Amino acid sequence: MSFRGWYPLALSRDIAPGTSTGTRVHGSEFVIWRDDKGGAHVWEDRCPHRGMKLSFGFVRGDHIACLYHGWQYDTAGQCRYIPAHPDLTVPKTIKVPRFSVAEAGGVIWGCFSEEDDDAPPAPKLPVAAAALRSIFADCPAPLLVERVGLLDVEGLTPDVSTIDDRILEVRLGGNTLIACVQPVADKESALHIVAMEELDAAQMKPLALWAEELRRDAESFARKAAIREIAA
Amino acid sequence: MSALTLYNYDLDENCYKVRLLLSCLGAEVGQVAVDVFPGRENLSAPMRAMSPSGTLPILKQDDFVLHEAEAILSFLARRDPDRRFLPDDPASFGRVMMWLTFSTRELDAAVHARATAMMDAPGDIEALRTAARDALRIMDDHMTRQHFEGLDYFAGPQPTIADIALFPSFALSRDYNIDHDHFPALRRWARAIRKLDGFITMPGIPDYH
Ligand code: FES
Repeated sequence: MSFRGWYPLALSRDIAPGTSTGTRVHGSEFVIWRDDKGGAHVWEDRCPHRGMKLSFGFVRGDHIACLYHGWQYDTAGQCRYIPAHPDLTVPKTIKVPRFSVAEAGGVIWGCFSEEDDDAPPAPKLPVAAAALRSIFADCPAPLLVERVGLLDVEGLTPDVSTIDDRILEVRLGGNTLIACVQPVADKESALHIVAMEELDAAQMKPLALWAEELRRDAESFARKAAIREIAA
Repeated sequence: MSALTLYNYDLDENCYKVRLLLSCLGAEVGQVAVDVFPGRENLSAPMRAMSPSGTLPILKQDDFVLHEAEAILSFLARRDPDRRFLPDDPASFGRVMMWLTFSTRELDAAVHARATAMMDAPGDIEALRTAARDALRIMDDHMTRQHFEGLDYFAGPQPTIADIALFPSFALSRDYNIDHDHFPALRRWARAIRKLDGFITMPGIPDYH
């Protein structure tokens, strides 16, 4: 699978300073982590030592440490410390591949196709007023996008405009949401949803329930489609 | 009256719940190590006399015997003069009981998935994993909405035995091959649990240092 442009990976809110998580785009694995100064990083999710997932590791200051044997990497991806050989000057070649990262509209974006310097311009989005939530669904991204516009829940009828194939504007119950579409793998996808207006907890809750229902609906559609395929 | 004794197996997540609460309460109880694997000592006659289904943990004081982790958590939290992990007001108490029940019923799939994945216990691992993921999703959805209100724990603003009961299955989910990647609200909640005074780990739950 070839990568093209910028992909939404997580809500900025959900990657707190000093934390990490794994994610996938078209099945390829990446680690997202945020250093203690707030900088976000998107790297290949593979420790150069024995190939274990760096997303299982933990952040200390501006280093991420692998859970398995504690090798530590700085924000440039360079290995700085090997606990089994504390006095060793670590060779420059022990380095984790890094990718371009941007934060726009309350969402962390990664770009995997280009070198750092000539990445296409990052998505331009207005500053989000409130992060709603991410949903992760067992269904292909195009199906999830299709269901967004069709799901009425308790009087909430969405009105969707497509900004591009990874950004949807969803008008729902008087609110404007931006939903960013992540193709996780062939049959998995995610939506990272933010709101353009300030919302209090009482206003957020029905929107979150709508998103939960969207996940149920999209997955049940994907299952039915899979059964039809087998039957055909 | 003799002291309280906990019959414990270090690799059992239900025993860990009790050890975790005791540590957070700063309470000491005597421990007896039970050789579950490979010894199957939990199925011996003296153990069955205390816990008929052969499950751990067991808490005992003279003739008083409790099995079932959630019952033991409730007993210990109720006994704490400050009721730190079991609020008294009816609504909070009800919420704690609701999530305790959820942990024994819905997360049972997670306990079995882990036993199947790690100790070759019999079971349909795919079905167990699906059921465990459904339960973790319900938990993540709930904590997402709690966080909107600035509530950091399952039953409200303070940690309770509900959090203690729910924590191990999430913290150990990689043992049965479910990553934390799709549960951002549970990651945040787990970080709050890790910061509790007295927090301890068990094998399989890394101690970041
Ligand atoms: S695999 Fe990462 S330190 Fe060994």
